[in-house]
Amino acid sequence: MKLKTLPMCLLACAISTVFAAGAQAEEKKSIVTVVKVTGINWFTRMEEGVKEFAKANPDINASQTGPGRADAAQQLKIVQDLVAKNVSALAIVPFDPPTLEPILARAKSRGIKIVTHEADNLKNTDYDLEAFKNNEYGADLNERLAKCMANKGEWAVLVGSLGSRSQVQWAQGGIDNAKAKYPDLKLVTTMQETNNDGEKAYQVAQQLLRKYPNLAGFQGSSSLDVIGIGRAVEEAGKAGKICVFGTGLPGEAGPYMEKDAITGIAFWDPKDAGLAMNNVAKMLLEGKTIENGTNLGVPGYEKVTVEKGPGKGMIIRGAGWVRVDKSNYKQYNF
Amino acid sequence: MTTHLSPFKDRQLTFLLAINIVIVMAGYFLSSGGDFISVFNLQSMAMQLPQMGLLAMAMMLSMISGNGGIDLSGIALANLAGVIGALLLPQWIDAEAAPWLFTFSFVGLMLCVGLLGGMLNGIIIARFNLTPILTTLGTQLVFTGIATVLSNGSSVNLPYIEPLSAIGNDNILGIPIAFYIFVAVVLFLGWLLKRTPFGLRLYMQGTNPKAAFYAGIPRHTMLICTYTMCGLLAACSGLISASQAASASAKYGDSYLLIAILIAVMGGVNPAGGYGRVVCVFFAATALQLLSSMFNLIGVSEFAGNCIWGLLLLFFLAYSRQELKLKIKRRQALKA
Repeated sequence: MKLKTLPMCLLACAISTVFAAGAQAEEKKSIVTVVKVTGINWFTRMEEGVKEFAKANPDINASQTGPGRADAAQQLKIVQDLVAKNVSALAIVPFDPPTLEPILARAKSRGIKIVTHEADNLKNTDYDLEAFKNNEYGADLNERLAKCMANKGEWAVLVGSLGSRSQVQWAQGGIDNAKAKYPDLKLVTTMQETNNDGEKAYQVAQQLLRKYPNLAGFQGSSSLDVIGIGRAVEEAGKAGKICVFGTGLPGEAGPYMEKDAITGIAFWDPKDAGLAMNNVAKMLLEGKTIENGTNLGVPGYEKVTVEKGPGKGMIIRGAGWVRVDKSNYKQYNF
Repeated sequence: MTTHLSPFKDRQLTFLLAINIVIVMAGYFLSSGGDFISVFNLQSMAMQLPQMGLLAMAMMLSMISGNGGIDLSGIALANLAGVIGALLLPQWIDAEAAPWLFTFSFVGLMLCVGLLGGMLNGIIIARFNLTPILTTLGTQLVFTGIATVLSNGSSVNLPYIEPLSAIGNDNILGIPIAFYIFVAVVLFLGWLLKRTPFGLRLYMQGTNPKAAFYAGIPRHTMLICTYTMCGLLAACSGLISASQAASASAKYGDSYLLIAILIAVMGGVNPAGGYGRVVCVFFAATALQLLSSMFNLIGVSEFAGNCIWGLLLLFFLAYSRQELKLKIKRRQALKA
């Protein structure tokens, strides 16, 4: 049977893309970092840490992967396939920690080492790495927000997802801080979800500005929240009049800070977090344990504290976050 | 369009089997050490397949029914069923005390929600005569909305219950229970479509609704039955998801819709109605599951994966059109 050219061309495209995109699998130990979503600056920066680890440890196969959209089911599928592949260790930033509990239990029974990040409610992990105490981070953002708003006015808070553990803790830290210290700071509504998507954050901020015309402050959680909020604030012509704080990367948020659409950001270097996670995984593979004062070989994680987690795993905490605004964001090259 | 033209039948199935074999071989070679063919990986893939496969079967049924039939609301309905089950049931039954009762009730509750949701689709499409694509687009938003409101946007955890977790995670004789469920559904649907009057009527209605109507085939009943079955299949898929993730969320699996449609089209189902073979859709589903797992194993990025799904969808649509033209030419040559 003569096969027509058009269908064959398309099939050829599909097949060649598969082979072009494929990579060689090798026999040495492998640590795979699975992030919440690929393609956003935050995790692209984290990948630099993974690449740095790979270069420093040529005997280990280190790589990063993640779903194209922030979807817990997709991340689950990727983890299932990696467990089936029997990687040596997984370094995961879970989008929705409870979703991964069953597969991580299976992974552990297969002897795969598990390191997680931003998931201190996860039971089936060996170590969960946190850059700091999450509620303190959120409270600090809120302090800066309150100072900017002169301790009074209406404000709103955004999160990537109500299931994203660390972000909810930051938001709650901010809310608790405002409730305890600033009675004149009024939270207009509950935490608004943005799905770690800049466009969605922009729409959510726009809706909030329309619904609450006296809104004077925003606290964002996902790194894309402040970007979306900044866009909305600038479009509404209120740059400089509304205080906008949240997690963000200096390179991404810089242009908005110049225009006063974002007042200030805070972050911890995702590259260091990625590098630290992989270092912890490597230490696990070598049979070492992490204790109070251990040096993970990464700035900010030179003397970590360790506490018990909800399951058999431990939570490792690092040294802190960085406060950045218009005056100092240029110091960073990412 | 009949289903009894021998050469066409054989070629389609052979083609799909060949694709499966090609992918398995590619996977074997691209992942050294035969990780791809290992028992664990096969089990893992057999565990993931039912979620997608059941949705593809639902897609197939709705497409066969004709009139531009399609069910875009499957995943949303699966999520809603999971959310309702996970939220309501713990309040009525204590999971610790009666795990089997809980599990049976959970399954029953999810299937009920699927049934009602599917019936809703069927009734709107049949009685109000709205096009399926717009109807199911609307119900997709409705189901997602209800699930989001009920769950407050976050995922709802399920307590760890042995029997419920076993459905999605455990094996019998080395084969996942979820896979047995899927095969049972496939056999049932194959029997239904091939050997019952209902099946014959469904094909006829899909081929030519007007003629079917005048032949006395009850259009409303057929459509409502079909979409109700789609709803039940979606609920089954949701059950397996919920069991594997030990939670239910309004936002699961947005990306699965395209793949379910791709599987149906790749399995030779005619999107315009009247043709579709269960066995072909089954092998299309296995092929895409193999491909998807292979991508994850060799490290193809998600974005390249989406690009490939899109190209494959276009390819199979073009391929089936070519096949159809060839078939018509051949039959005309036979007549002449």
